[in-house]
Amino acid sequence: MKKRVRAILAFLLSIAEGAGYAQQRFPRPEFESGYVQPAPELPAPRWLPLEYLDILVLVVVLLLASRFIFRKRSRKAILWLSVFSLGYFGFYRLGCICAIGSIQNVALALFHPEYAIPLTALAFFVIPLAFTLFHGRTFCAVACPLGAMQDLLVARPVKLSPGVSKALGFIPYLYLGMAVLFAATGTEFIICRYDPYVGIFRLDAGFIMVLLGIGFLLLGLFVARPYCRFLCPYGVILGWMSRFSKRHLSITPAECIDCRLCAKSCPFDAIEPPAPAQPLESRESNVRRLLVYAGLLPILVVAGGYLGSRAHVLLSNAHPDVRLAELLATHPEVKDDPDNLDVQAFLSSGKTTEELAEAARAKRNEFYRGAMILGAFMGLVAGMMLINQVIFRRREDYEPNKSNCFSCGRCMDYCPVGKEPWTA
Amino acid sequence: MGKDKIYNRRDFLESGMRLSLALAVGAVGGMAIGKATTEDWVWQIDPFACTQCGRCADECVLSPSAVKCVHAFDLCGYCDLCGGYLIPGANEISTGAENQLCPTSAIQRKYIEDPYFEYIINEELCIGCAKCVKGCASFGNGSLHLQIKHSLCKNCNECSIARLCPSDAIKRVPASSPYLVKGGFVEPAGS
Amino acid sequence: MNRGQKILLFSRLAVGSAIACTFISLLLLLNYLQANRAGPLENAAMEALLERLEAEPDNEALKVEIRNLDLLARKAFFNTQWQLNTGAILLLIGALIFGISLNALNNLTASIEMPEEEEPDVSLAGKLGQRGVLTGGATLALLALAASFFTQSHLEQFEAISSPPQAAPSEEIEIIEVAYAGTEGSSPQAAPVVEADSSLAEAAPTEIEPAANEEAALPKTASYPEAAVVRQQYGSFRGPFGNGIAYQKNIPTEWNGPEGQNILWKTTLTGKGNNSPVIWGNQLFLAAASKSSQLVFCYNRHSGALLWQKAVENIPGSPPAPPKTTDDTGLSAPTLATDGLQVYAIFATGDVAGLDMSGETVWSRNLGVPDNHYGHSSSLQTWQGKLFVQYDTNKGCRVMALDCSSGKTLWETQRNVKISWASPILAPIGGKYQLILSADPLVCGYDTDSGAERWCVDCMMGEVGPSPAFGNGLVFAANEYARLVAIRPEGGGTIAWETNEYLPEVASPAVADGLLYIATSYGVLACYDATKGDKLWEFESDSGFYASPVIADGRVYALNREGVMHILRHDKEMQLVNEPPLGERTVATPAFANSRIYLRGEKHLYCIGN
Repeated sequence: MKKRVRAILAFLLSIAEGAGYAQQRFPRPEFESGYVQPAPELPAPRWLPLEYLDILVLVVVLLLASRFIFRKRSRKAILWLSVFSLGYFGFYRLGCICAIGSIQNVALALFHPEYAIPLTALAFFVIPLAFTLFHGRTFCAVACPLGAMQDLLVARPVKLSPGVSKALGFIPYLYLGMAVLFAATGTEFIICRYDPYVGIFRLDAGFIMVLLGIGFLLLGLFVARPYCRFLCPYGVILGWMSRFSKRHLSITPAECIDCRLCAKSCPFDAIEPPAPAQPLESRESNVRRLLVYAGLLPILVVAGGYLGSRAHVLLSNAHPDVRLAELLATHPEVKDDPDNLDVQAFLSSGKTTEELAEAARAKRNEFYRGAMILGAFMGLVAGMMLINQVIFRRREDYEPNKSNCFSCGRCMDYCPVGKEPWTA
Repeated sequence: MGKDKIYNRRDFLESGMRLSLALAVGAVGGMAIGKATTEDWVWQIDPFACTQCGRCADECVLSPSAVKCVHAFDLCGYCDLCGGYLIPGANEISTGAENQLCPTSAIQRKYIEDPYFEYIINEELCIGCAKCVKGCASFGNGSLHLQIKHSLCKNCNECSIARLCPSDAIKRVPASSPYLVKGGFVEPAGS
Repeated sequence: MNRGQKILLFSRLAVGSAIACTFISLLLLLNYLQANRAGPLENAAMEALLERLEAEPDNEALKVEIRNLDLLARKAFFNTQWQLNTGAILLLIGALIFGISLNALNNLTASIEMPEEEEPDVSLAGKLGQRGVLTGGATLALLALAASFFTQSHLEQFEAISSPPQAAPSEEIEIIEVAYAGTEGSSPQAAPVVEADSSLAEAAPTEIEPAANEEAALPKTASYPEAAVVRQQYGSFRGPFGNGIAYQKNIPTEWNGPEGQNILWKTTLTGKGNNSPVIWGNQLFLAAASKSSQLVFCYNRHSGALLWQKAVENIPGSPPAPPKTTDDTGLSAPTLATDGLQVYAIFATGDVAGLDMSGETVWSRNLGVPDNHYGHSSSLQTWQGKLFVQYDTNKGCRVMALDCSSGKTLWETQRNVKISWASPILAPIGGKYQLILSADPLVCGYDTDSGAERWCVDCMMGEVGPSPAFGNGLVFAANEYARLVAIRPEGGGTIAWETNEYLPEVASPAVADGLLYIATSYGVLACYDATKGDKLWEFESDSGFYASPVIADGRVYALNREGVMHILRHDKEMQLVNEPPLGERTVATPAFANSRIYLRGEKHLYCIGN
């Protein structure tokens, strides 16, 4: 760039070596009165070892739960342990960190290479699943603050018709699928955003959260654990684990006397009556149905995938880039609206509308694939649910449904077998 | 005999499923652990990207917001006519409510020596509305700026302000360097 | 207390707490709605009073009224806050009592009832279940269908709606023409909303955040900026693609260095370097070197604060002592280049390095000490992950492309020329960016992907200092004691026109909208018709030009060696806009950002803005 020709004297002055200082619009004054400048207060975040303490507490609580359920068989102990968890994970840790929300962290980490998942979040995702695989959904009974809160506020539970609970049973799967889709596309964390109980833990929340919280609390008086049964996405995965768990809570310590007290005691309709044998004609019709449903399964998956892909435009509108691009495409006049903060911030960011449109299109393509997978997953869920309804399982006694049972221990409490004779 | 067989088959199937579920959880966990960090993440405002839109005051799950104005004193000009303290075209340079930009009167103006004044933020009163930040950035040195105070922030899994920040100024950062402070205070804050 | 009394107590407790909870909830709701409707932040009465005060500035009674209202409003606000918080706690306690009493009631009233005689019907449950599943599935399917019918994508029709000047397809030749109409009057239209206090508002779109997220965002996932983004920045010597055009708006025309007028900040520079500042987003970069150190500096361009400085050192192959250079070239004459992901530096020792935006060294290497009797001075240029180095020395001449993420050589082409001090530029020719170099005796274009020579013209001579320029489909090259030529690059390269009236020695030409500017080292700024070669006007300065002229915001900015910026209209007629002095000698080409000019003087770095 620079070439010497004549002017060797161009740089006479040696340039001062030393730290540069900055001058602003209004330079910092030189104070004569001996004024000492204060430092801004910047308190540190929570001490990291405390985060690891949370994991320890979780493990201890789960270990204790197994002991209370299998050894002591004490509903009271389980209840008090859940009260402790409500206090610790709920009102002390304010519902964050939580196993339900950690689904999204895992999804984000798997699909976004730039996000490194904190070990604590990963531990909160994996540890309850591992425990469930061995001992059933003890996490729901004792460790989950959301579950504990709902369990304490069961007043007059009503029995739901199996049809209603099956129809509503789709929601957790859909919620799980959407949560993973939104987290994987970097859109948002819907589980956290619509958590009805976290506002109660914080005693502070936005309007929607307050409404959701109050609504679920009131509903929970009559429909026991409404969030756990008809919304919780983590419960879906726990259900899969629990269905094949190595051990599971048993209602009676010895021989069942078919008194049916347990079935009455369970507010979650999770206890199934004995089914010793099946009449021949119903068995034949069941087998026919099973074959039909099994044949239907691939069709349901394909149809679900198709329907899901059709819904991708709607789903992708949740992403801020897509929303902004759509807004600019349909209402170009918003560019002149000084009150539209998003548009104004975008315009001053130096990005072109083409870049935004390109990003939005790429995001929408991601959603196309994602929504197709989500739809196929829902089709699979529907098919498996149908098949589950016609598969006959022989039961000698009253048994908890391993997928749905929260291991709360009420039935153990009610079971008269092996207890002292009536003393009241 | 027949009953035993059935139960054996069922047991076998169940253990098989259990094993595959365990493998599935292990696989997901293993893939995630490859990208795991032992550190925690916290939320941070980049004051250089912030456009002072005012959403920090409204969108935080806490009320008042965990976002507060912080004063980088070493960038401050200690002006008498402070763009962060006074409304534009203020009636006079005084502490009268009619001249103050801050809606909650959270900035304390203190005389130091002629003609310099010190401005201190009262965190109790500050609601993070960024009006003073905008004033300081427009007319002054930009020493007033917003920060997420980690003594207040609940560190939500997803910050509800970050979701709506029009300039994407709020990001997850490792908890070991929680603040990006204007001026020369970066070192002590990071330790 | 017997069982009956207990039941009575708990049922009363339950009812009482339920009523209390409902009551508190209602109060909270009211409070919440009221607080949201009229917060202290948006108070219509207050605004009206303030407006009145503006009309009657001396009305003391009005001031008192405002103060009282303000106090009331703040009191109300903090009262509401307190009420909401207290209410929430009370509600929680109420709910707790309610829950406990309900539980206790349940336990007390539970009795061993005889269950119904009827056997539960397992098959009926199964049938109902199947019906439930089908209903749920059908509902979902209907919802998905409805979603597909009621939403449609508008993203495809985007192009038709948005067509700001900078958004044209990036790989066409016409794009290089700046959208100025030649007169200043029309420029505000071309710069829409960005103008409103753009100093802090413009954030670099692809900028990675400093330090904090570096492990997360490094080159693996990096995407190199597109042409439109490069043009928004000022990331290399003589601006985007090294072509002497700044696309920023609102460029100041008035300042006075000695008096401090419009000098937003000024900072003392450490060390020596004749390179020019470059800008990406909020960061400004420059370099300096001495016998013992080679440093890259990064400043916050808004405040002038030094964000970081990084020594380029400990490189295998680097000479123990730097080569001899003359003072007016020095050890750090080449200007840095940045793509917003990294910043690249080269020094007279042949050391070249890529640093990330927070100042960490990503890679560094030595290219072999250049044999150059004044000192290596060819600046860097980068495009789509390649860093281009013109390495014309007394012992061999070559041009190479290094991988931006690793520094490895991607291609290298030997050149049959003599030593040169000019810098490479990038120009869109035939729908693709070409690398154009000027040296004695060849001006050539190279394919950026392969390094293959696309065209070559034998037309230069002497010690070539000025870099080429590109505009109107023509490549312009010039050197003192040689000639000024316009080259048509198509078909192997042909000379369109040539002249030798005014020739530059150090400063490079700049061209846009059919106007070509030449700045000589004896102080003449000449304007030529770029297509025909006719001289349109000439302007004489008191001092010579070493810094290259830059076309920005409808004006041409030519900085002479005494630090006086001659600002002329970018027009066929000569029209001087202003001649603001800096009060310090200057050789570095200025850098531009919206509403800002950055000047590197001998000892200081200046930020100029209105």
